[in-house]
Amino acid sequence: MSGGVDSSVAAALLVEQGYDVVGATMKTFCYSGGGGEAPSKTCCGLDGITDARRVSDALGIPHYVFDVEEAFTRDVIDDFVSEYARGRTPNPCVRCNSNTKFKDLMKRGRLLGCDGIASGHYVRIDHSNVSAPALYRGVDTSKDQSYFLWGLPKEMLHLLHFPLGDLTKRQVREQARALGLVTADKPESQEICFVPTGNYRDLLEKRLEARHPALEPGLIIAGDGEVLGEHSGYANFTLGQRKGLGGGFGQPLYVIEIRADSREVVVGTAEEGASHGVEIGEVNWLTTPPPDDSPIHVQIRYRASAVPARVHSTDGSVTLAFDEPQRAVTPGQSAVFFEDERVLGGGRIERALVTAKSCQ
Amino acid sequence: MSSIYLDHAATTPIRSEVREGMIAILDGDFGNPSSAHGWGRRAAAHLEDARQRVAEAIGADRSEIYFVRGGTESDNMAILGHAEAVRRQGGTPFAVVSAVEHKAVLGAAAEVGERGGRWSTVPVYADGTLDMDALDTALAAGASIVSVMTVNNEVGIRLPIKAVVERTQDHGAVFHTDAVQALGKIPVSVEDLPVDLLSLTGHKIYGAKGTGVLFVRRGVDITPLIFGGGQEQALRPGTEDVAGAVGMSIAVDLAVQEQESEAVRLRGLCDLLQSRLEDGIADLRVHGDVPNRAPHILNVGIPNVDPEALLAALDLEGIAASAGSACESGAQTASHVLLALYGRLEGVAALRFSPGHSTTEDDVIRAAEATMRVLERMPHVGARA
Repeated sequence: MSGGVDSSVAAALLVEQGYDVVGATMKTFCYSGGGGEAPSKTCCGLDGITDARRVSDALGIPHYVFDVEEAFTRDVIDDFVSEYARGRTPNPCVRCNSNTKFKDLMKRGRLLGCDGIASGHYVRIDHSNVSAPALYRGVDTSKDQSYFLWGLPKEMLHLLHFPLGDLTKRQVREQARALGLVTADKPESQEICFVPTGNYRDLLEKRLEARHPALEPGLIIAGDGEVLGEHSGYANFTLGQRKGLGGGFGQPLYVIEIRADSREVVVGTAEEGASHGVEIGEVNWLTTPPPDDSPIHVQIRYRASAVPARVHSTDGSVTLAFDEPQRAVTPGQSAVFFEDERVLGGGRIERALVTAKSCQ
Repeated sequence: MSSIYLDHAATTPIRSEVREGMIAILDGDFGNPSSAHGWGRRAAAHLEDARQRVAEAIGADRSEIYFVRGGTESDNMAILGHAEAVRRQGGTPFAVVSAVEHKAVLGAAAEVGERGGRWSTVPVYADGTLDMDALDTALAAGASIVSVMTVNNEVGIRLPIKAVVERTQDHGAVFHTDAVQALGKIPVSVEDLPVDLLSLTGHKIYGAKGTGVLFVRRGVDITPLIFGGGQEQALRPGTEDVAGAVGMSIAVDLAVQEQESEAVRLRGLCDLLQSRLEDGIADLRVHGDVPNRAPHILNVGIPNVDPEALLAALDLEGIAASAGSACESGAQTASHVLLALYGRLEGVAALRFSPGHSTTEDDVIRAAEATMRVLERMPHVGARA
């Protein structure tokens, strides 16, 4: 329970359905001094803990705070920083869901005698096939959070409950108001929880050694090597980004590559930034892996549709060939595999494959 | 299953004598003690009676008792108030405190540092002794105030304040003690022990939260922290909380009257709990296990157990204990007291049980059984067959 409206309603629905519910909030980083930033924000902070406690009290359920700061710092914040340092664009929420949140809750839940774990994510889970539970996109397409949950350990799926999967955000808010929950009208949290100001560069400056190349000036170049300008650190860029490049190039230019070794940010046209395929690491399958050359759909950004591709599995990594070339295939972001609405698995994008041949 | 409250070192319920005394003021003699009319005079009389009652209970003079809004305020007034007095006389304040003090004292001492003075901590050892050489060094370096608690709130050890008072005063420094956990559990008398400043709170002795006392021995110079009217000899201005003062005085009076018998009873309960836990948990450790520890706190360590899950599981069993001191957000962080006494206790769950007035032998037996039951679910526990 983050103290937001979603987890509040998720808990309320479970209570309504007759479950014996125990509320838990994970304290993920220090709010009151030391490493933390602003002490108050929508989710995760002390505010969040207080609201989660108030909601739990109103629902008549116990509530506990679990300090996971050490693991969260190691698995999520440190990874976030090192990914940017390598010129990549991390998904910290994926890391948290895959490595920290659910695993820790499961471990502690068992100690408390709990039989399952529920969260306020907008995804659906179907337990009708007991030996192979299936994870699906949430019904509310604008809130669907399946992109962030591909890393859940497969053997944990049978323990998970997502009470909001069949609801829209609007219905969730209505439910919260009907129940008189204090969190009913809380604003959405938009930012990364440990970067409440939205300015992740401050965090990088704090956590990277002085004069780290990621934060040092470098050149903005075209694909042919022509120097187009300067930038103040490649960590400020993500692939596909258009903003912050300056204008006057005649046609829209996008970041198409970040070269950490030489601190160069390469820009080009939309066509120049297109890839025929993608190499994916840290792959996690929530189903039996499909045979080679199977058609699947892959989603490569949170706010993007899944596109058709063919899968080639090798040991540990997966290569996908897109049916149509895709823009902004961004190392560090997640690639999530779907069959219609069902989440098959996913992984972390290692690199874009520029030519069709390299996809084989 | 009914719950069992074993967290009286965190706070206590209000006893009926205190409640009745306070309600009589809230409902009846509500006047402002500074007013010249009958209501004011009656309120003033209650206030001064209350002051008298506290003074007599701890062997002080009535003029040395200041009603304040709790233990933290009392500690801050003593340490920061004295530091400011030193500064105004042209000196440099230097607060020296034990490493196992409550956050109220540690925070105030750190603030002395923030405001241009100095502060340092003196180590305390697992056997309950204080590093006297470190104390002497600090005194020789110009300590202006030394603050050492009478009884530690997490493990119940009694600190050697008698020896510290003597050394401190020999050096011309002022001595303060936080006696919040001591009153009602061990004898507390400013007659027997010549402390300069002493802090008490109401809510650990069946009084109300937000009530407290600062004892300031006559002749000790303290500057107020807040300013306004002349209430409490201008040391703590603001219209007096007469009901709070009356409640506090009743709580203090009864705590002192009942101290001897209550200490024997609480000691018995803690010993019973300890022996039951030792019977069931092979690798149980007792923190603060020294012969003269205060009777009302049992702090045990259980290796290889997740402390947060243990406390939560106990709560689900209806047992209210604590991991040490209660943190504002409810999360448990490593205890600075255990750190000071034992170093880093990797993977050891510390549990503090503190029985009180309403606790029975049956309660502690059931608490021990619940603890064992919960531990059966936890991995790597050396439970005795």
